[in-house]
Amino acid sequence: MIENNLLSIIIFAPLAGAVINWLIGGRLKNELFSSVVACGSIAVSALVAFYIAFVADGGALFINKPILDQIWTWINVGGFRADFALGMDRLSGIYACFVTFIGLLIHIFATGYMHGDSGFYRFFAYLNLFMFAMLTLVLADNYLLMFVGWEGVGLCSYLLIGYYIKKDEARKAAKKAFVMNRIGDWGVLMGIFLVFTLTGSISFFDKTVGGEQVTSVFTYVVNTMSADPFTWGAIVAGGLTSIGVLMFIGATGKSAQIPLLTWLPDAMAGPTPVSALIHAATMVTAGVYLVVRSNAIYQFAPTAMWIIAVIGAATALFAATIAIAQNDIKKVLAYSTVSQLGFMFLAAGVGAFVVAIFHVMTHAFFKALLFLGSGSVIHGMHHEQDMRKMGNLRKYMPITFITMAAGWLAICGIPIFAGFFSKDEILYKTFAADNYFPGGLKFPGEEILWGVATVTAILTAIYMTRMMVMTFWGKERFHDALPGEEHHDDHHADDAHHADAHADDDEEEHHHALPHDFKPHESPWVMTVPLIVLAVLSTFGGLVGVPYAMSSIFGAGDVNAFEHTLDPVIAEKGEHGTSEIKEVKHFFASAAKPEAGAAPAHDSHSPEVLFKERVLAALSTVLALVGIGIGFLLFYKTPLRTMPKILEEKWRLDEFYNGYIVDPITKLSTVGLWKGFDIGFIDGIVNGIGHAVAEFGNVARRLQVGFVRSYAAMILLGALAVVGYFIYYGLKLVG
Amino acid sequence: MEFFSQNLLTILLLLPVFGAVGIVLHQMFWKQEEQLKWLTFGITLVNFVISIPLIFGTKTAGFSFEVNKVWIAAINSNYHIAVDGLSLWLVILTTFIMPIAVLSTWNAVEKRPTAFYAFLLLLEAAMIGVFVSLDLLVFYLFFEASLVPMFFLIGIWGGENRIYAAVKFFIFTALGSLLMLAAIIGLYYMHAEQTGIGTFDFVTMMRSLELGQLAIAGTAGTLMFWAFALAFSIKVPLFPFHTWLPDAHTEAPTAGSVILAAVLLKMGTYGLMRFNFALFPDQSREWAWLFIVLAIVGIIYGALVAMVQPDVKRLVAYSSVAHMGFVILGMFSFTEWGMQGALYQMLNHGVSTGALFLLVGFIYERRHTRAISDFGGLANVMPLYATIFVITAMSSVGLPFLNGFVGEFLIMLGMWKSTILGVTATTNWNYVATMLAGTGVIFAAVYLLWMIQRVFFGKVTNDKNKKLTDLSTREIGLIAPLMFLMVFMGVYPRPFLDAAKDSVNAIQKRVMHQAGGDVDHAERNADLSPQTAVKDAN
Repeated sequence: MIENNLLSIIIFAPLAGAVINWLIGGRLKNELFSSVVACGSIAVSALVAFYIAFVADGGALFINKPILDQIWTWINVGGFRADFALGMDRLSGIYACFVTFIGLLIHIFATGYMHGDSGFYRFFAYLNLFMFAMLTLVLADNYLLMFVGWEGVGLCSYLLIGYYIKKDEARKAAKKAFVMNRIGDWGVLMGIFLVFTLTGSISFFDKTVGGEQVTSVFTYVVNTMSADPFTWGAIVAGGLTSIGVLMFIGATGKSAQIPLLTWLPDAMAGPTPVSALIHAATMVTAGVYLVVRSNAIYQFAPTAMWIIAVIGAATALFAATIAIAQNDIKKVLAYSTVSQLGFMFLAAGVGAFVVAIFHVMTHAFFKALLFLGSGSVIHGMHHEQDMRKMGNLRKYMPITFITMAAGWLAICGIPIFAGFFSKDEILYKTFAADNYFPGGLKFPGEEILWGVATVTAILTAIYMTRMMVMTFWGKERFHDALPGEEHHDDHHADDAHHADAHADDDEEEHHHALPHDFKPHESPWVMTVPLIVLAVLSTFGGLVGVPYAMSSIFGAGDVNAFEHTLDPVIAEKGEHGTSEIKEVKHFFASAAKPEAGAAPAHDSHSPEVLFKERVLAALSTVLALVGIGIGFLLFYKTPLRTMPKILEEKWRLDEFYNGYIVDPITKLSTVGLWKGFDIGFIDGIVNGIGHAVAEFGNVARRLQVGFVRSYAAMILLGALAVVGYFIYYGLKLVG
Repeated sequence: MEFFSQNLLTILLLLPVFGAVGIVLHQMFWKQEEQLKWLTFGITLVNFVISIPLIFGTKTAGFSFEVNKVWIAAINSNYHIAVDGLSLWLVILTTFIMPIAVLSTWNAVEKRPTAFYAFLLLLEAAMIGVFVSLDLLVFYLFFEASLVPMFFLIGIWGGENRIYAAVKFFIFTALGSLLMLAAIIGLYYMHAEQTGIGTFDFVTMMRSLELGQLAIAGTAGTLMFWAFALAFSIKVPLFPFHTWLPDAHTEAPTAGSVILAAVLLKMGTYGLMRFNFALFPDQSREWAWLFIVLAIVGIIYGALVAMVQPDVKRLVAYSSVAHMGFVILGMFSFTEWGMQGALYQMLNHGVSTGALFLLVGFIYERRHTRAISDFGGLANVMPLYATIFVITAMSSVGLPFLNGFVGEFLIMLGMWKSTILGVTATTNWNYVATMLAGTGVIFAAVYLLWMIQRVFFGKVTNDKNKKLTDLSTREIGLIAPLMFLMVFMGVYPRPFLDAAKDSVNAIQKRVMHQAGGDVDHAERNADLSPQTAVKDAN
């Protein structure tokens, strides 16, 4: 067991930053101070994370044992043990590195974006607190502490979505996000109970604490349990499949999958750096982390995996269809995020856990980039978010344009760019799901899922191209009135409005009617530098995970560093269906790679497989180009093309939830429970008794006025009851 | 010093009583109404300070600070008081919350302050008495005595509808406790009949039970179980006996609501745990299913009704119904996790709901309204107040690392692993129960956040709210200790849980071990580690 107390610095540095900003920054109200504290604490956190991941004790990413840090024992009741303890293994190492790194970039960006906001210190206190929660989630060494981070990021998300407290939509979105997340959290909580019931542990790692041996959940599962059958019944059987489904309910909440997806687009009411950090790059991928972390459980739960794959694919398509019809630049990106998260779950569901994480990482690069780019656009457009009022911005914001173009090509899946490798692998592994699905089972419906994913990929290219075209190409529409919007022609009114806007900068509500002489401007360097860094990562970041099928074309051999790094995290298991578990290998048990002979007949390096993979890769590249082409064809000339109403209205899912769930519950509670049962029924009875007793008291003893007589009556009644009881009991004794 | 430690509990009991007499005399002779609150605050603060040695002096097992003196020899009733792990924290909670409650009344008592403060002090004595009494008759007296001051606090210093609320409060609770009195007397005769000596002493009864000299069974046993259970369930309050609570809370003055939520309700759950479980283990097991069902209904019902309340205080009151449902659920799971979690949740509820009532009181003193629709955008004018309110709400919602989470988690874990509901071939009823109870956690977020959204966020819509001042130093001072506890109890619950562990486990073992033919089953689930249990089950 390797211990390294530096680990706690990764989470406590941001916490310290949050506290300092809250207590001292709130008094100083100095932007420089708050920026330095906020960015500095994340920088410390990032440095330590990279140091432990790559250097200390041989580097958490290279060794086969987790690096642990026991801080204190939180709960220890009746054999249930939850430590406040951190652990960095290869999976959490990768997460910690990209979370801190992207977090740092976004913090720096935000110092520019939030400039002039009256709640500057508060914003950064929340943002740092978020980093604390997110890193706790990732580095936790057990399910319960992970859940602490899980709820913590939910809270910070709530605070940051509702950051512009005066905006009505912001406060509604904040509450919606928290509640929908809570619905998911219910699943995680129940999942944890079941994990503890089945395995007697909630720890992720084998360890010794204070002389006490703690066995990890996954060791226990891999060594002693057998796979659940691939049936619907397994879901409610209370076994590993039930855990898998319950945990996935949590993931649908946090990662905005069907049916709990509607909070994420609304969450865009928060400041844009928040959207980039929380609602694109980090927090929303926590669900994927949970699934991959629990892969030992999922590999024994084929039904749960199948459900994950189906929900993932369905969400990907569903969100992409909505994204294509949105006019708010952030809404497009939000639905795109939902869609991409669906891809990640599809990967995890077909058994390609490593690819899911790969896509998490590349997506973090390009989606953070796109969001920050949109933030830069919004900043340059004086808080206008409607793409119908943009156009030709590449002339005014060249850096933003070029960097965003990198993100655009990455998400479309153009070769070399980061998104290409991860997305392509997801498509391929879905197509070949039989080979990756656990237990050597046949995966039902893999072709359909592949088809859905491919269509989604084309749609992705179309809607991203639409977004780019509407924003950066075409003619300038800054002063055009939208249908249904009054055209502001009064020069003076505009000026007044503009001045007003600067005075009240924390409102973001002054985006209507830009002044006549308005020219968009490029953002300051604190905003463009993070964009450039992320653009570089979005362009070349995918090269760490080039699959063999492609690298071998260039004779480079097996250079998929990403997959090799994460491979040991994926549990090795015995064959499905046998009560006897053979060839069990714990994923941290030894540094040696598992024997090739133990693997199923599928050989990922055989010529036919390589051929298939290459053909599919070529196909998806062509389709991405076709998608971009369609995008230009459709929207270059007519950027304001009318889109289908049902898509613009998001398939009316919110209306459905409100009409069929929220309203009936509210009505039932008001009319049925409160007014009906409480006041009508119970109080009716009690008041009836009260009146009767009062009357009785009146008759029995005409005592004082006021309510004292009820008291007297009660005592009398009670005394009678006592006497009655004695008589009853005495009679029984005699008899 | 030895005198002090031997009579610590007696001092805790008598100091407020003498204090009450003292302030009445003070007012009679000096007529300094302004000084009364200072005096009362001083007395309650001293009482808190001298209760602190209890924390360090209470043994983990058995009773500590025990005093057992003859009170009424003729009926063999003794002044028998002590604390153990079960009552320790409740006594501390009482002495801790009292100075805060007094401080909250600083500018709020508009009439007859002498009587007000005297009642508060008498209430404190009665509440401490309830938690430390081991003689059933003495317990009953304290239990009833706590009713009277609260009755007057609501009836005299309450809101518009105070008479109705006070009478309702009284009818409900008095009805229950009179039945309990009958049962206590019944127990006395039963003991007399079976052992030859009549006694009200709880410890003696327990010994007789353990030695097999006393058996509380049959119809009489069931009736007595229900008499106790009803008295306590009304106090908790358990659905469907809860309707007195919203009225009492809403009409009571702030201090009254705080004490009611923080301590008075706990008398019910404490009573169930101390007396029902110990004296009637078989009946408790037999009827556990009913309590679990009612608790779950209460959790969901309380949350749903809280959601649609137009009045902030009434909303918090209904949330109490839901929270106390969790406590009952944990207790009746009869597992270590559930019962310790229930005890911990009693403390948590005292701290966070107490804090919520204080916070509602702050705004009521400023605006003299509690209607949610009268507010909106308060975060703009009272940022500190808004922050504290959100944190407190989060503690009530059960956010991890705040106190509420630990209790709720342990309770649900306990219910999940409970064997009390039995397992049929197709259904683990304990899983079903936990899953249903777990939805209460979702609803809690709904009603509190919805209220926060409407009260604090948005623009200030009502002109009357534009000039509101943020919290004063006094207000910060009285909410700060509660905030500290919320965080401390959330991140480091072990001192609380460890001190209570042995006492609670003893009760748990007692209930589950007298399970007749079920002994082996119960033992296995209580003693073995889950891993072994799972293997056995397989």
